[in-house]
Parts: sequence; C-alpha cells; structure tokens
Amino acid sequence: MTELYPLTPPGPSRRSTLRAAGGGTLLLGLGLAGCRSAVSDSSSAPQGASAVPRRGGVLNVAVNSDFTPALLFSQSGQSLQHRLIYNTLTRYDDRLSPQPELARSWTYAKDGRSITLRLRDDVTFHNGRAFTADDVIFAVKNLQNPVRAAQLRSTAATVSGFEKRGDHELVLKLAHPVNNLFDLFEFMIIADSESVEDAVTGKKLIGTGPFRLKKWSPGSGLSLTRNDSYWQAGRPYLDGVELRVIPQADALISSLRSGQSQLSFNVPGKSLGVVKSDPHLTISDYDTGAGAVYLGVNTAIAPLDDRTVRQALAWAVDRDRLLAQTLGGYGLASAAPWPKSSPAFTEAHRTHYSHDPGKARELLKSAGHSKLELPLLHLALPSETAIAESIQYDLKQVGVHVTLQPTDPATGQKKLISQGMPALWTMGHGFAQVQPSTLAVSAYPFNEAKNTSKYRSAEYTKVVRAAWTEPETNAAAANAQHEKISAILLDEAFLIDLVVRGQVQVATDGLHGVTLNKFSYLNLDNAYLV
Amino acid sequence: MRSYVIRRLPSALLVLLAASFLIFTILRLVPGDPATTLAGPDADAATVAAIRDRLGLDAPLLSQYAHWIGSLLTGDLGPSYAIGGQTADLIGDGLGATTELTLAALLFVIVLGTAFGVLGATSRSRWIRTAVRVTTTAALAVPPFVSGVLLVLLFAVILGVLPPGGRVAFLTAPDLAAQYLVLPALCLALPSAAVLGRYLKDGIERGLAEDYIRTATAAGVAPRRLLWRHALPNALPPVVTLLGMQVGHLLGGAVLVEAIFAWPGLGQLAEQGLQRRDYPVVQDLLLLLVAVFVLVQLLTDLVYAWLDPRIRWE
Repeated sequence: MTELYPLTPPGPSRRSTLRAAGGGTLLLGLGLAGCRSAVSDSSSAPQGASAVPRRGGVLNVAVNSDFTPALLFSQSGQSLQHRLIYNTLTRYDDRLSPQPELARSWTYAKDGRSITLRLRDDVTFHNGRAFTADDVIFAVKNLQNPVRAAQLRSTAATVSGFEKRGDHELVLKLAHPVNNLFDLFEFMIIADSESVEDAVTGKKLIGTGPFRLKKWSPGSGLSLTRNDSYWQAGRPYLDGVELRVIPQADALISSLRSGQSQLSFNVPGKSLGVVKSDPHLTISDYDTGAGAVYLGVNTAIAPLDDRTVRQALAWAVDRDRLLAQTLGGYGLASAAPWPKSSPAFTEAHRTHYSHDPGKARELLKSAGHSKLELPLLHLALPSETAIAESIQYDLKQVGVHVTLQPTDPATGQKKLISQGMPALWTMGHGFAQVQPSTLAVSAYPFNEAKNTSKYRSAEYTKVVRAAWTEPETNAAAANAQHEKISAILLDEAFLIDLVVRGQVQVATDGLHGVTLNKFSYLNLDNAYLV
Repeated sequence: MRSYVIRRLPSALLVLLAASFLIFTILRLVPGDPATTLAGPDADAATVAAIRDRLGLDAPLLSQYAHWIGSLLTGDLGPSYAIGGQTADLIGDGLGATTELTLAALLFVIVLGTAFGVLGATSRSRWIRTAVRVTTTAALAVPPFVSGVLLVLLFAVILGVLPPGGRVAFLTAPDLAAQYLVLPALCLALPSAAVLGRYLKDGIERGLAEDYIRTATAAGVAPRRLLWRHALPNALPPVVTLLGMQVGHLLGGAVLVEAIFAWPGLGQLAEQGLQRRDYPVVQDLLLLLVAVFVLVQLLTDLVYAWLDPRIRWE
C-alpha cells in the first residue's frame, strides 16, 4: 500500500534539539554543581604525592565475605578487622620470634610450666576502661569455652591457673609445657569483658586497637574510625577504614581498578593477570603460609586404606601446573604443609613428591590396581572447581578416574567436621604458618585424635604430643620432633599437600605500610595513603 | 465487598501456613547446619555440640517449628544465627535497599521503554530505527551478569564517572545515592525496557494506522499532537499491564544484579543466609516473599472484584 500521508511525525527540529540540549546541560550543570562525586568521595586520600607517612584519608578495603561476629574469637574466612579493633599480647616477626604488643615482656619458667607476663599500663579500651591483667585472664578463659569455636582452644586449655601480681603483671600456670603459647598470644584478641556478649552478635566491638567501630552493616561491611586515644603515639595515620563486602570477583576487581577500593586480599588467582596489567595496582605475596591446598584421602575406604595407593596419588599430581593455572603462580608448590618461614620447612620435604606419573602408575600396579574409580568432593566455587579439575586431569593420566562432587561450603564444612567425606576431597587448611605443633593439635584435618581422613596411629599421636609439649626453650629437641611429624605426614599421605599459600595482597600504588599477622589480621598501625 | 474479603482471607492464611511448613522442612532437609558452619573449619565435636545446644537445634523439629511460628506471631523474628544482629533489622535493611533498586529500575524501564517505543515507531531516520532495534535486541539477549560487567567496565573503570558498586542510602545522601544507583538500576532495567519498548512500538504503529488518525491528519492536526495525544495514550493500556508484570521480573532479577554491584538487598541477604544455613534469616525472608505474593494476589482479586461485581457474588 502506498502511503498517502506522512503518518510518522517528524523528528525533533534543530531548534527543539538545541533547546533540549541547552536545557539538559543547564539542569545537569545545576545538578552536578551542588552534587558530590561518588567516585572521588570513595577514594579519599590526602592530596599530594609523598614518600613520608601522611596523616588522614580513609582506606577502603574490598572483602568478598562479611565479618561474622559469631566467629569473632576464631580465625574465619575474613579476619581482617581483628587487629584493627583489637590488640593481641604479642606478635611474631618474620622469623617467628615474638615481639611485644600489649605484653611488654615475659619470662618462661625453666620447667616450662608457667610464664610471667608484664603488661603495658598505658592502654585503655575504646570505652575508656583501663586494660589490666584481668582482661588477659578473661581472654584466656573465654577461649577455653567451646562455644567460642576458637581453633587454639586446646592451647588455651593448658592454662590451668592465674596469679595476678598487681594490675599489670600476671603469671599463667600451665598444666604441661607447650611450645605454641605465643601462637595463642598472637591469635587471641583482647576484648572488653563487659561487652563480650554484644560483641559476638555484632552490636558492640570494643577493643584497645587503632580503630573504633563506627558501624557494622551486615552484608555491606564495617566502618571504622580512628582511635584518638590509641596507646601508640601518633598512630594510626589513617582517619578511618571501610571494609566493603563485594562478593562477586569481577565486581571486586572493578572496585580496585576504578580506585573505589585501595586494598584487597580476595582477588582470585586466575584473575591476578588482569591486575598485573594495571599500572596503578601492585601485588604483594605474603609468605605467611596461612593457607594451603590439599588433597584429602579417606583411609577407611578401600583401596585408599593401602598406603602405597595414597603415595601413588601424591606422585600423580602436577603441583607446579596447578599453582600456575589455578592460583596465578602465587604460592609454593609443596608436598609438605610448611611455608618457608616455618622452622619445620626443608627443601627435601617440599619436593618429597614431585610430578612423576610413571612412578604413580608403578605404585598402583604394585598394589594390584591398573584402573580406579573414585569420587572427589570439592567446594562449588569457581577457584575450588578449577583446582579439583586440575587434580582430576592428573589422576586420570595414571588410571584413577575421578568423579567430581561439587558441594556448597556449608555442606562441605559439615562433612569435614563429621568425618563424612567420600574417598577423596580437596580443600584448604591453615595453621602451618606458626609453631609446627599447632598444625597437629589445632587444624582439624591433621588432628591426631580425630581427623577427616580417619587416620589413627599410635606413633603419630606420640610424636604430635611430644612435639606439642616440648618446652619452648628447647629448639633443637623441638626441631627433631618436627622432623618426625613431617616424616609421618609424607610417608602416610593421609593428607596430600599440594600448594602452600600466603595472602596475596592487591593494593593501589598510593598505599603504604600495610602488614598482616600470622593469622591474617590486618595491621594498619603504620599505614598511610598518598 | 467486605464479606468477599472475609471469604478470601482464610485461604490466604492457609497458603501462608503451608508455605511456612514447607520452608521449614525443606531448609532442614538441606545438608549442613548452622552449628557446623559457625564452628569453623577446625572445630571438634565438643564445639559443634556446644553451639548446637546454644542455638536450640537439639530440640525436636516440631518444637523448633512451633517456636518459630510462635515468635512470628508475637512479632519477634529473633536473632540471626550466623550473620549477626536481629533478623528483623537485617530484613528491614535489605528490603529498603531492594525496594530502592527496584523503583529506580522501574523508572529506567518507563523512560527507556517509552523512548525505544516512540523512536522505533515514529523516527523517519532508518539509522535511528535500526539503532533502536539493535539496542532492544541486545538488551533482551545479553544477560544481566554480562551487561553489568560491561557497564562497570565502561562507566567505572574506563570513564571513571560512576562507582562500580556499593550503596549509599537514599535518605542519607541523595546525591551520592543516585550515583550508586545508576548502574545497577540500568542493568536491571534494560531487558524490561526492551520488552516495553517493543510493545509500545507495535501499539503506536497500530494506532497511527487507524482511520481516525488519517482523518485527523487530513483535517490538519499536527503530527506531534497525533502521536502524544492520540496514538500513544491508546497504546498504553496493554503496556501498563505488561509493566505490572515486569515489576515481578525486576524483583527477581534484583538478586543477580545485587551480586554484581555489591548492592546489599534481599537477594544478597538470602544468599548469605543460605550459605551459612542461617535458618531464622532464610525462613523469615522466604515467608515474607510468599506473603508479598499472596498480598499482591489478594489485592489483584479485590481490584477485579471491585471492577466486576459479578465476581463478588460468585
């Protein structure tokens, strides 16, 4: 049909276009003139470049999960805020030597059955109350309570008595010597005893740390402001810290690249390449070894009850490829759990198992197997799935066909604790970054009395107990025990370590002075923005 | 009318009761529980048992259910197990954020949908019509998790004019809040705006082809007046119905968009609650959503009954 009339109205005329554009510009101009920019508002840093510390500015930290108040006294997936709001008694240096914090100094009894702590007398909590020896007594007793879910509860439980010598001197009496007491002192945050029940519900977080809690918005994150009465003179430099929850990895990286956040420890390994190419972002790898990737083996299920088969699996995995492809190359391919900073670390242990499919096949054959079908549980998260697939590929090359069982974290956690794991699983563990005995008494997968692998051995129990109760003063004897623990772990292969990981920090180039303690508590005492 | 409402209420309450029982049962059937989640990765059996006892998870299931319903009836939603804080506060905060996002998205849907419809139907420039067609096709085809990332990349990373995520409450600082809202609302709105635009375009084209428009044109009525006073209003009724349906779509889509833009709404809360098996939060949240849908259904029925008296007497 031919159109007789122009049924469509004409487009905007030049005059009306100009009029609209002019009006729009005016409105936009008026709007923006009285309007702050959310972009510049979120990246507040003191102006001007400087190599010396500068006061002021708010640091935005991107985290992928929120603070969980119920886990305040344990190490959870997100413990960054612990050392911002609270202090600890001591902190380790890079050589695992304890340094003073709220405890000025200490003296161990010769028999290793007590320790005398001399505490700072110039410290107050955020509510103005003075810090005294009673607060340390409360902190230890608090961790002895199973409800607090503190991983170092067994060490806290060795403290069998307290002897106060004034407000700022205290003797802790021990049921038996332990050599990981300073792990406890670095792990145990000193919280205000009067408000502890409000702390575990997130209502009040009162400590002696450099920042006070301004607001916690569940799901959004924590807002902290400078503690002007902090016991370290002139610290902190920053006016505040915002811990912002950004669960999605791409959004978290965009937040860093756009300058909305200046710091994160949650960039997935496979995304670190994108970050590397950004000239304004720097990557630092903390050799804390606070985490490790492992392949768990259920020793109660045939044929995994045969040590030879377990050893074959340990030879089959290509740790270097797994590290490069799934973790961005950040970490240490290792057959043993220890990071380089651990007194138990040796190069021989690290390379005890290398990638040798031929040897793996040979061992399987000697055990009477040419082909195996096994399930492998892993957490249904992108990074964990990539690790599981990498293991699956390697095992297939030696005739072990693995069926992946993706599982949500809560279910995985329950199966781990209740010993409900299938034949194989892959997860992460911590606690190898401090005194080696802590791993076997506090990290559940390694626990000598009850572990997910259902591995029990009188020899392992004996060695672990001996290592744990060796007086801290006897380093040579302790090292001999560590050697025995490593030998059993490697030989029995009930838990096959693959990669030791530290924390990978991504920060904008204007941020300086950030450190983490051994338990991944963020320390910003000396941090500043330029 | 009042008797009609009274007749409808029992069935609505029955639906809510059945839903509450289903929600409670299904949550308990999901593997994992709050105690093991809260116990941390290195917990022993004593820790798990102590936490289970503290949370009251040792009690028989029926007793736990009765306790939950009893608390709801007294208006006490209780504390969250794992996330922390009071469940009522958590849901209140999330509801505010999700409502804000949905309303902003709805605004974008109306503005963009109208623009797509009018330009697509009336522009004399083939280039503009093609551009509108390509844009609406892309908006429909590209899922929000892709368009969201692209929007962030363009406006936050490359241009650096808008924040890539997060939220400032509207009542706290409207100027900042609006900037945080733009990208997630736009991402959420794009598919619905495309659907609306296509419906509107067809409606306007049909309207402009009507005889009375030809007559009016012959009588010298200005084309712009024909569009805005006659064709567009006549195309609106089906579009308004469609818009109502899109509100549900927006609420559902908000869950995904909230994750991309770190928007702390109900979707994020539900995801967190499920991850940690935070029974009170997930139970109350799901029941709230059921209640909203039951309420909407009830209101719709009431409007129909008000419009058509025959329904009231059936």
